[in-house]
Amino acid sequence: MAKNTGGNSLKLKKFLNRDNTVGYVFALPFIIGFLGFTIVPMIVSLYFSFTNYNMISAPQWVGLKNYVRMFTEDNRFVNSVGVTLKYVFISVPLKLIFALIVAFLLTRKSKAVSVYRSVYYIPSLIGGSVAVSLVWKQLFSTKGLINNILHSLGMARISWFGDEHAAVWPLILMAIWQFGSSMIIFAAGLTQIPASYYEAARIDGAGIVKQFFFITLPSLSPVILFNLVMQMITGFMSFTQTYVISNGTGDPNDATNFFALYIYNQAFKYFDMGYASAMAWILLILISLITFIIFKTSSTWVFYENE
Amino acid sequence: MKRLVAGILAATMLASTAACSSGNTNTESTEPASSTAAATSDVTLRIAWWGSQTRHDATLKVLDMYTKKTGVKFQTEYMPFDGYFTKLNTLVASNDMYDIFQLGGNFPTYIDQIEPLDSYVADGTIDTTDTNKGYLESTQYNGKQYGISLGINSYGIAYDPEMFQKAGLKEPSTNWTWEEFEKDCMTIHEKLNIYGSSKIEDFFAGGTMAAPQFNLKETFFKADGTGLNYTDDSPIASYLAMKQRLVKAGAYPDPGAISEIKDIEGDYLATGDAAMTWVASNQFVALSKAAGRPLKLATVPRIKADGPSGISLQSSQMFAISKSCKEKTEAAKFLNYFVNDIQANEVLLGERGIPIMSKVRDDVKSKISDNDKQVYNFIDTVGEIADSPVILDPKAQPEIKDLYMRLENQVVSGKLSPEDAAKQLRSGAEDIFKKGASASSSN
Repeated sequence: MAKNTGGNSLKLKKFLNRDNTVGYVFALPFIIGFLGFTIVPMIVSLYFSFTNYNMISAPQWVGLKNYVRMFTEDNRFVNSVGVTLKYVFISVPLKLIFALIVAFLLTRKSKAVSVYRSVYYIPSLIGGSVAVSLVWKQLFSTKGLINNILHSLGMARISWFGDEHAAVWPLILMAIWQFGSSMIIFAAGLTQIPASYYEAARIDGAGIVKQFFFITLPSLSPVILFNLVMQMITGFMSFTQTYVISNGTGDPNDATNFFALYIYNQAFKYFDMGYASAMAWILLILISLITFIIFKTSSTWVFYENE
Repeated sequence: MKRLVAGILAATMLASTAACSSGNTNTESTEPASSTAAATSDVTLRIAWWGSQTRHDATLKVLDMYTKKTGVKFQTEYMPFDGYFTKLNTLVASNDMYDIFQLGGNFPTYIDQIEPLDSYVADGTIDTTDTNKGYLESTQYNGKQYGISLGINSYGIAYDPEMFQKAGLKEPSTNWTWEEFEKDCMTIHEKLNIYGSSKIEDFFAGGTMAAPQFNLKETFFKADGTGLNYTDDSPIASYLAMKQRLVKAGAYPDPGAISEIKDIEGDYLATGDAAMTWVASNQFVALSKAAGRPLKLATVPRIKADGPSGISLQSSQMFAISKSCKEKTEAAKFLNYFVNDIQANEVLLGERGIPIMSKVRDDVKSKISDNDKQVYNFIDTVGEIADSPVILDPKAQPEIKDLYMRLENQVVSGKLSPEDAAKQLRSGAEDIFKKGASASSSN
């Protein structure tokens, strides 16, 4: 008996000391999180997307009805896709251009550079937070700072969040303002470009502009691709800003009813969980599709050094 | 190295088991530290409500008093209104309901989760001798008692009498009309250069109340919550047309300015930027406190001065006991304490609405300031002119309310005529009901 337990504990010891065991143990927190909070919910939501489910009564299988409804009956859905695409397609390129310019300006060899980088990075750190959205709402409110400036310049006050043509612009501006994380990645990419390229170009008589377009941009293109994809995905999932600013409604007249917000409202306001799950899957497909297109076209504009 | 890993693994496992076992006993009990209370009990009730900070403080204090008295402990969850129903539905989905939870006029949505209280009322665990049939009926559904109302309220218009005087207007009467409301708004805007009125809950004012105001035989929703119950679109259209005129004139905030109102304390009436606003009567005390100047309460305007008021007295909210509650009798005893105990209600002070028990009501009324007493007089007035039945919110209400607001915004911005908006409201609402019906009939 005693011998037996001794053998077992030895086996256990051996098992625990194996390299694979150690590896899995270290990866375990992630694996648990990934299965529990990503894979399982995804499978469940895929199932719900084919059901009519209001969280209170049991889900009811309806086949593809939710998906059909989205594209044939729901004008709000079509509108929210449009609004989101507009937001992403305007804010992401502007944000990247801005980030690149600032990163380029901050490549000078100066001690103050790291301070500036930190300062410019701050908006990204606090970007998705409720507090910033509230500040933004205050800035653009009827009696807020922006309107006071407009007023003192003799222009009419704009009801930013009351006018459906104006409402999305403060949100776009806010996204651009949070250029910090892209800027840091660009800055890292810029330091990787060998100084000898620039030197050779200067000897050949190329000015700053030519250097930028013929050395910096091509060398940086893999980083641009990375930033573009990441920022685009973030853009599609944008939720907090519009939720806070429009009080969760997507007002005025659905002008800020972003995809993620509409999913949330269908799920947790109207309790149409099945429909919301279907929309979430469409969002996934949409993002994958655009990412795929970006990658497909990237062969024409992204240059890798080893090519 | 490997030994270390094994050691860490073992320690982690130990720690996690410890965390699990402590997790079960870790209750956010409101039991006071100095609990040398005479009564001991190992009953713990999970209770949840929504509300403002004032309500949280008062309710926690009452729970504390009850724990001291009986030893029953509480695990509390309280939050603002916004997240409450999201949380509640998540709990329903995961079969993990609170023992006692607060519900409003939408309680039929949760009917499968609520334990009817009829037997507790019959055996006297919940003493209802001090109230009347009408108040009890406000929380009944299909003849069963699903909760005990924590207060009665009604909608009204709060206004600043001094601003009315400055604008040369006479104060609203109990049968004033929307026409007068509009004129008053315009005059106030012209004379004082502020908004005539702050945010009106248009879906109620120009929707659910407009239907009975126009034709007393009709209501906006059917009583059983399966569809619409009004035949004429014109009162809704004329309400929307009025809103369009008011916003255009600057006498009413545009949708952007409306969205800037954070809470009742930040209402334009409280900040002095408007002379009127819409309130549920139990919000009036908080509103006048925030305003810091004398305010008064008027009834909701009518369509015709000699027409119906469209008003009803309603239960502002109730406590219900869940079917999954293990200590239902204890929960019922607590409910009885909460609505009948004089000392408890002297702490609560009718913040959830006018208490339905007459002794409690009289006592609370004697304890409050003259300004707060207005709410009691207002409820008396409404009681006299109330002529419409209480229709509980159908499941589709939030979506239809959003639809109404979207259409109104389109009317206000001039994209849609009021008549078309009223038509689209009807067809859109019917679609929403159809969608909901196919969901529930297949169950």
